[in-house]
Amino acid sequence: MSSLSTSDLASLDDASKKEIATFLEGENSKQKVQMSIHQFTNICFKKCVDSVNNPDLSSQEEQCLSNCVNRFLDTNIRIVNGLQNTR
Amino acid sequence: MGLSSIFGGGAPSQQKEASTNARTASNPIAKELKNQISQELAVANATELVNKISENCFEKCLNSPYSSRNDACIDQCLAKYMRSWNVISKAYISRIQNASASGEI
Repeated sequence: MSSLSTSDLASLDDASKKEIATFLEGENSKQKVQMSIHQFTNICFKKCVDSVNNPDLSSQEEQCLSNCVNRFLDTNIRIVNGLQNTR
Repeated sequence: MGLSSIFGGGAPSQQKEASTNARTASNPIAKELKNQISQELAVANATELVNKISENCFEKCLNSPYSSRNDACIDQCLAKYMRSWNVISKAYISRIQNASASGEI
């Protein structure tokens, strides 16, 4: 992977700068979603998966994981609302 | 770039987007910059995944005085964690889609 020099970057025209800004914005929001998934998996795996004797998820585990995400988000929304009301 | 190729394969939407962006890029420097950013992100995601799986599977598979390894458990735990990741990802994304369709966000 070759590395770009500062002079390479300085030579970018406005259209390319704009293109990169848009690209970064998109990557940024995708990355936020990715990091949330990492966080939820970390939390919910601990709560929902007891035995690791089998590489497959049982249907209960699968249901638990998906409920876990939804309850986490419900909690998050409730907390945001609660904080807004106390203001 | 071993790690990013592993993770790049696991994130098809990201890869597809990156290649369409790369195709429309007029400037080769802009294209290179975008490729580098995508690479770095893929590495960061792979690192995060490896760390989280190590943490969780160490906890699940190695109890008491760690005298022996438990490779079978770790392999199963790894597979299970990846499947959990996919289930969570599906649940989260469908929640986001529902919320944006109903105008909540």
